[in-house]
Amino acid sequence: MSKALVCSCEDVTVEDIRHAVAKGFRDVESVKRFTGFGTGVCQGKSCLSAVAALLAKEKAQKPEGIVPFTPRPPLYPTELSLLASLPVDESKPPVGGVPQELDTFPATLRPEGAVPTRARVVIVGGGVLGLALAYNLSLRGETDVVVLERGYLCAGASGRNGGGVRMQWGTAANIELAKRSIELMGRFARDLGINVWLRQGGYLFMAKTKAVAERLERNAALHNKHGVPTRMLTLDEARDVVPGLSLKDAQAVSYNPEDGVIFPWPFLWGYANACRKAGIKVETYTRVTGFELSGGLVRKVKTDRGDISCDTVVVATGAWSPEVAKLAGVSLPNEPHRHEILSTEPLKPFLGPLVSVLDSGLYFSQSMRGEIVGGMGDPLEPAGLNMGSTLRFVSRFARALTEQLPNLGHVKVLRQWAGCYDVTPDNSPILGRTPGLENLLQLSGFVGHGFMMAPAVAERMAQWMTTGASDELFTRFNLRRFHEGKLEREDMIIG
Amino acid sequence: MRRLPDAASRGKSITMDLEGETVPAIEGEPVACSLIAAGESVLARSIKYHRARGPYCFSGACSHCLMRVDGLPNVYTCRVPARQGMKLERQNAYPSAKVDVFEAIDWFFPKGLDHHEMFAGVPVAEQVMAKVARQLAGLGLLPTAPAPERLPVETVRTRVAVVGAGAAGLAAAQVLAAQNLPFLLLERDNVLGGRLLSGVPEADAPPPPAEGLLAPERVRTRVTVIGLFDDEEGRFLAAVNEGTGEPRLLRVYAERFLLAPGGHPPMLPFENNDLPGVYASHAASLLVRRYGVAPEVAALVGSGPELYALARLMTERGTKVAAVVDLKGPVPADAPAGAVQGSEPKAHGHNAVSGFSYQDASGRRVKVACDAVLVAVAPSPSFELARQGGAKVEYDEAREVFAVVADAEGRTEAADVYVAGDVRGARSAAQAAADGRRAAEALAQSLTRAAVGGKS
Repeated sequence: MSKALVCSCEDVTVEDIRHAVAKGFRDVESVKRFTGFGTGVCQGKSCLSAVAALLAKEKAQKPEGIVPFTPRPPLYPTELSLLASLPVDESKPPVGGVPQELDTFPATLRPEGAVPTRARVVIVGGGVLGLALAYNLSLRGETDVVVLERGYLCAGASGRNGGGVRMQWGTAANIELAKRSIELMGRFARDLGINVWLRQGGYLFMAKTKAVAERLERNAALHNKHGVPTRMLTLDEARDVVPGLSLKDAQAVSYNPEDGVIFPWPFLWGYANACRKAGIKVETYTRVTGFELSGGLVRKVKTDRGDISCDTVVVATGAWSPEVAKLAGVSLPNEPHRHEILSTEPLKPFLGPLVSVLDSGLYFSQSMRGEIVGGMGDPLEPAGLNMGSTLRFVSRFARALTEQLPNLGHVKVLRQWAGCYDVTPDNSPILGRTPGLENLLQLSGFVGHGFMMAPAVAERMAQWMTTGASDELFTRFNLRRFHEGKLEREDMIIG
Repeated sequence: MRRLPDAASRGKSITMDLEGETVPAIEGEPVACSLIAAGESVLARSIKYHRARGPYCFSGACSHCLMRVDGLPNVYTCRVPARQGMKLERQNAYPSAKVDVFEAIDWFFPKGLDHHEMFAGVPVAEQVMAKVARQLAGLGLLPTAPAPERLPVETVRTRVAVVGAGAAGLAAAQVLAAQNLPFLLLERDNVLGGRLLSGVPEADAPPPPAEGLLAPERVRTRVTVIGLFDDEEGRFLAAVNEGTGEPRLLRVYAERFLLAPGGHPPMLPFENNDLPGVYASHAASLLVRRYGVAPEVAALVGSGPELYALARLMTERGTKVAAVVDLKGPVPADAPAGAVQGSEPKAHGHNAVSGFSYQDASGRRVKVACDAVLVAVAPSPSFELARQGGAKVEYDEAREVFAVVADAEGRTEAADVYVAGDVRGARSAAQAAADGRRAAEALAQSLTRAAVGGKS
């Protein structure tokens, strides 16, 4: 059948690009994510300029606004076994990272005109948490809301995570939130009209030390108490779940078949689209520059496109939250920590669950598209908003991954990237009112699992905000706890 | 495609195993080249619509030629050298790539398949679709055996690392050599010269590099640079070295990086532009100049001087040129006879090119019979390494490509990154060489200044 291909790796046609533009995706990064062009084996070598020319021709974008998507290493597909050959000095912290993300975007990318001068609620941060909250507010009749996003949708951690969703947590609060989130994810397409490809292939956690093994066993009992069917597997059972998996040094394996993986990006599009339909303004490429405070309240949010008077402000900026809160004179204890991740060539399905070695922070799964997507935390990663990629990471990861699944040695890495975890001292989020600034609400500190918690947390927060009914979530996880020493430690963090 | 009569002497005749069939090949030449010369045009089926695919770019910049080779998935057959007994399998096809039942997907969805909204929220259908989609997704099969233990990484420290031994990189290396600056030139191909050897000939191009032009210890071929990284010891290029037998990871730390990696052959969007038999001009010139493989009858489409130069090259080598269609125009006075300005190009054929059509100036659709469509457009600068190194990249509206922003001497926004040649926008080989010389001179000066500054 006659088709005009732009990206032949992913079978993206000229029509697909036009369709994306018609849907409002007008910059290269957004068109890449919506159509999938440039995400295949060639990583944009043969299609990027053709897409740029099309965007110019369709007048989707002025030439100054046509910026190439960030080129991720490796430049050519590279076997994991080769990357694994690089020795890494684990006693030293990682240094550097390439390429650095654009900090400022061309002004032409900004929407034309000023932002609204007044809104009842301003949500800073157009990641999954901010957008999910806006959507849930609209369900409760509150549509006088503006969402501000400094880049394109998916530019932050919401667009950079591995898409894992699990109920296996170490605290009752997180287990319940995750259960509800996964339920909402299962009906996301019905509610919001876009596929998110939830695939419940389970999460298989492995422990290689006695201490971690005990933690898995203790948590599995807690999961069962909350109706989550986690069970401890024998090594033979684990091999049945993941054929070819090395269980060397494995002390314990836990498995919940109802955990899974999703495709993160459509969540943002689905929520943003529903918000816009409800009359909520979602303003991309708009940066918050400050706040106007008086009488213990935030009166205005200042942006590079004008000021917005408001009744309530929500900080939902993930790893950027300390930076944004500081503009209001609020000091948050969160720290951004880079986490690196990579994706391989697409293979026919062979791996059911997401596998994680809890001791090292290694995790990997197979996406719906067939790629192995995975990462591993670096214990010496310094705090900072660094989103560059390192050879050190791919090397450490490649070694750890091929140790667990040796047949992946010849599999090639297509691209590596990084995002930032928003890390709090007790690995639990910061939610609710800010002491001293009552109408500044916090919605941050999810330590790399904000994505999977977003649907449920946003639902509770919207209810709490619109009804005024008390909800222990917003007192238990309040910023106050760090002064009062009532920490709520979560011990099932990967990485 | 056929092998030209003078092609027999290019190497040892061998055979490969293509899904149980024996196909002739020439040892050491790219597998895909041997396959198309043997009349095998369909090498794969595409990932989503199962469209027939044959090699397009011959530079590892698309995905049309990926096959399972000796049990390894998604191998660029346009890059991997042919060996006796090599086992080749076409991917993503059932029961075979020539007759693939899943080609029906392409026919069922003439307007494309919107995976975002398809069956979204429709009970049952949604779940069935997810199951089917998972089985259809992916390309190759997981390798059946682990990789061998790799050789330890090699680390080299030099003052200047040069990437790419085309016109720009070679000219730069000669300047550095003349100034006695320690440098290392890395080239992905197995020979030096880039387009000087395999590109469309240009009248004013410098000659291809003579044997012994550069000291052997200054040059590495079959080295694929995969990134410009930094760590506690400084900035370095990471590369895969396949020049010495077993592949091995290589790190090159340097004080300056002179990047001349050239460009990638882009896709030109037109109907059936992915049909086996559609080739990038780079592929066509490489095949005919280096391997003596050419189509019988070709239609040429594109714009710029390369379009006409390619027409002359193909005619000279015995290919009948059925059409030369300039999409931008006007057609220059010295263009080969029959060249016209046209629009709306389209390739025709089922599983392989059998014809080509376009709309002429009067709006009439003109169709010609051919066995290949050759696409000549400006290469897309390979800006990736420069951008990783901190250089700025801008959209060049006139050339419709992204190019690295640099001054006349090749300086970029990153103090240690210099660029030359196609990476800063499509240019002739002569211009690329001049770029390379200027950049190398400026870079050498910056090193001298740094040394003087260091002493004072």
